[in-house]
Amino acid sequence: MKLSRRNFLKASAVTGLFAAGASQKGPVMNAFSTAANAEEENVEQGEWIPSVCQGCTAWCAVEIYRIDGRATKVRGNPNAKANHGHSCVRSHLGLQQVYDPDRVKQPMKRTNPNKGRDEDPEFVPISWEEAMDTIAEKIMELRENDETHKFSVWRGRYTSLNGILYGNMPKIIGSPNNISHSSICAESEKFGRYYTERYWGYADYDHENTLYEIFWGGDPISTNRQVPHTASIWGDLKSRATLACIDPRLSTTAAKSDEWLPVMPGEDGALASAIAHVLLTEELWHKPFVGDFTNGENQFVAGQEVDEDDFEEIQTHGLVKWWNLVLKDATPEWAAERSGIPEDQIYRVARGFGKAAPRAISFSSPGSSMTIRGGYTALAQAALNGLVGSADAEGGVISNGIDVPTNDWPEIDDYLDDIAEAGLERERVDHGGRLELPALKDSESGGVKPTNTVADAMLNEDPYNLKVVMSYWNNFNFSNQGTERWDEALAKLPFMVHMTVNPAEQTHYADIVLPVPHSMFERLSPVDGSNGNLHRHLHMQNKVIESPFDIRVDETEIPWMLGEALEEKGFSNLIDYFRNEFRDPETGDAPTNAEEFNLIATKQYTEPIWDPSFEKDGDTINGWEELLEVGTWNTAKYEFRQKWDGNWGTETGQFEFYSETLKKALEEHADKHDASVDEVMEACNLEARGELAYVPHYEPAMRVGDEDEYPFIFTEHRSKLNREARSANTSWYQAFKDVDIGDEAWDDVAKINPKDADELGIEDGDEVKLTTETGSITVKAKRWEGTRPGVISKCYGQGHWAYGHIASLDRENQIARGGNNNDILAPVHEALSGSGARHGGQTRVRIDKV
Amino acid sequence: MGKNYAMTIDLQSCIGCAACSVTCKNENNTDDGINWMHFLKKETGTFPNVRYEFMPALCNHCDNAPCIKACPVTAMYKDEDGLTLHDADKCIGCKACMAACPYGVISYNKDNPHEYWTSEEAWSELSATPAHVKQETGETLPYYNPERAYNYEAIRSRGVVEKCQLCDHRLKRDEQPYCVERCPSEAMYVGDLNDPDDKIHEILKDEHKTLKDELGTKPKVYYINSF
Repeated sequence: MKLSRRNFLKASAVTGLFAAGASQKGPVMNAFSTAANAEEENVEQGEWIPSVCQGCTAWCAVEIYRIDGRATKVRGNPNAKANHGHSCVRSHLGLQQVYDPDRVKQPMKRTNPNKGRDEDPEFVPISWEEAMDTIAEKIMELRENDETHKFSVWRGRYTSLNGILYGNMPKIIGSPNNISHSSICAESEKFGRYYTERYWGYADYDHENTLYEIFWGGDPISTNRQVPHTASIWGDLKSRATLACIDPRLSTTAAKSDEWLPVMPGEDGALASAIAHVLLTEELWHKPFVGDFTNGENQFVAGQEVDEDDFEEIQTHGLVKWWNLVLKDATPEWAAERSGIPEDQIYRVARGFGKAAPRAISFSSPGSSMTIRGGYTALAQAALNGLVGSADAEGGVISNGIDVPTNDWPEIDDYLDDIAEAGLERERVDHGGRLELPALKDSESGGVKPTNTVADAMLNEDPYNLKVVMSYWNNFNFSNQGTERWDEALAKLPFMVHMTVNPAEQTHYADIVLPVPHSMFERLSPVDGSNGNLHRHLHMQNKVIESPFDIRVDETEIPWMLGEALEEKGFSNLIDYFRNEFRDPETGDAPTNAEEFNLIATKQYTEPIWDPSFEKDGDTINGWEELLEVGTWNTAKYEFRQKWDGNWGTETGQFEFYSETLKKALEEHADKHDASVDEVMEACNLEARGELAYVPHYEPAMRVGDEDEYPFIFTEHRSKLNREARSANTSWYQAFKDVDIGDEAWDDVAKINPKDADELGIEDGDEVKLTTETGSITVKAKRWEGTRPGVISKCYGQGHWAYGHIASLDRENQIARGGNNNDILAPVHEALSGSGARHGGQTRVRIDKV
Repeated sequence: MGKNYAMTIDLQSCIGCAACSVTCKNENNTDDGINWMHFLKKETGTFPNVRYEFMPALCNHCDNAPCIKACPVTAMYKDEDGLTLHDADKCIGCKACMAACPYGVISYNKDNPHEYWTSEEAWSELSATPAHVKQETGETLPYYNPERAYNYEAIRSRGVVEKCQLCDHRLKRDEQPYCVERCPSEAMYVGDLNDPDDKIHEILKDEHKTLKDELGTKPKVYYINSF
């Protein structure tokens, strides 16, 4: 008898092949047989709709495969020149995010007036109208009491439409307090490029033509920057170039590089100085860029000062000053003691890097500069690109680009009444610009609004507590270091609206919860400001599907509805601004409802892109509909050397090793406080005094916690699968979490060198408690050779105690899967850039078996 | 002459991200715990001399496939293009193929897949239910791919095994398998060994290996270079 499945079932029943009970798990009849009932045609059943992935700040143009109104697949948009049809693993996780049933389904309000981690908010459903009416009432109370400065908008991730909700709405209401997440993102990295070549933004890299790359904590085949592009050329890059990765832990980039330099966390600055030292002493600087000694003989000899007049610079400024102040003594032997990297490896990397000049890239990342004293580390990394002449050159680093032409948002001046003007004059709630927190974006004291200080401001009422907060696409008591402070501050905050896709830790403290779109699938909005593959771009996010949830667009529709609610209460400036100043560029129509407002704002902002009569340096797009169809606008390819010969934008017009630009900014900041620059340095926990403050130099790593009590250094890293810590509630994230080297699927482990583990008697899978001065978390231990003895390494992204059934193990008892690093990281800053300093082994830690 | 499909995976290009694993689940509607495409990882050495290797791992579509020999009902079979395929309709779920496969790439459905989406239970008072999302989208799985149904059950059922079909439905319309198409590092390729003009012959000029070829299985997934 030939066994068919049916016969096998019979046979097994007769012979008792299956034990009782087990047969229930046996085969069941398939409703449709493969051959007979299969789809008739083997054809594509869907269409690809352009959109944007905002799972990191690469902001890749993607396309969504839509079948019968459902989003079923994601791919890179082939029209986009930065990622040219590629998208990384994170983009696909979006499918599980958008259809996550744990998402906020409709507007809700808190009914328990008590707030705290232990309090049940007792949320109940409300209508959108009630939500808007309540928020409007709270805002009107502030306006009646001349307290509009106590209104604040908090922004996490955003699209180009943020100028409405985040940019202009708080001003019209009367508050200077729009607080972004930017300071906990990458500002210190930008600091390095700004004070050498005056560019506050993400760099681009000519990987295609380079011969040597030093990745400073960078892992561009795993995490931001530009993963899809870098991934797509990685095989060729590896064949052509020598790659050196400086990272305390074995990242994938480290594993695939020719050199791994597992630096002591936070000591990268010593390596950067030593590499510069070798480049100079061994005459490996790029002379056509930097210049040469007037007599043609190299006078850079270790330990010896050089006369500034003996060297003639070309594109740069202050090389000899830098040498005399810092580099002459920064030998590889000196650096080896500090960095934990053997001097022969430092020599090898420095020589390789120098010999590849000018096709050599020093690739900065937040990992090596978002540290307590990382501003100067970033400065040194940027300066290396000057030494090898790769700044703004083939095979090098581009800190420049063609602007994406967009329309500014309409002026708001006519809509600012006296109350608003008075509110805008009040001191900002963040502490940016204070003596100890210069936050020097764009040479301006307080140019960055630090995020994490807002919790302190609220707790200490310094300068005052906030009263009404509208917060979107963020989760500040998860994403800022020192989360417990945020829990306390949020509990103290009288009224908070959380506009969020998933319920999150911050939602637990909300008074009103508003469901908003998943950006990749459920909203129309432009996204610009990123770059890659020598192009900048604007991509169009699209409402690809009708959401299963009752959502409104946070950045436009909600402000519109709020404007209407405020109008009913006698304050019409916000809705008047929207009605009067926004016009469909094609029809001239004014918006009459929230959805129209989103569309018209988008068309108005992007008009120069899709109106072919605007002259621009990039793609030609013939009309709005065509923009929606192609989904992206790309600038022309960047042409190198635009900044050369005096166009660097710095105070001297040169690429600055001795930063006159930083000197000016620091002096202005000091003057503002009637202080000296030395006093600024002291207040910022920096060791530099005198001229040292204006050159890239080494600052010893600073760590919170006493070494005796907390014997280990804690260092954290990023995940390939983190969509900015929003993807942990997807099973694909958890199932493949072990693609982060050393990590485990469905878990979150503290990685400890086996030598340390042996001493502590720790085995794989043991529960361990990590304790710092800031807090503690309990996770599983993993013995791992990818971290040095003395350093505990752990990935960021897990530890959500209120995010959904996968990310959080027990909702009632608030038990997370894993632990949030921010529970134990100290709330410290890289003061010069105003950054949250989460890296560089900023905290010491004790590890105890539970 | 039929085709003779084989896959190449360039490990130098591979970035070890599992985009192939994730997109395989996406294309083939596999439930949690069932992965037609997964990976092998190896860490060797001691700090700081540590080596990490990563290899995407899937059905090798062996020319001498132990699963085919082991299957009592010819549910595992070789098709005219050299693919080792599974017929879910014939499958009796005896798992003989799983025992025979030296690569561990065949999975068994001990439950009906995607039952999560029938749940009426919301995770929180803020949340919807899985059943609500299922109802709104009208499919067993919200991101269900119906194109898989052309020549294989698009979602298999309790009591049968399943494995990589090398996206035979896509190959039939001259498209690369979905994992190949979506690999961000362009590390993978499926070509026809019978076609002398196919670029696979060029790729195979580089150093390459197959898994456990000493067993005589004649695997047809070739790993090029090293991670």
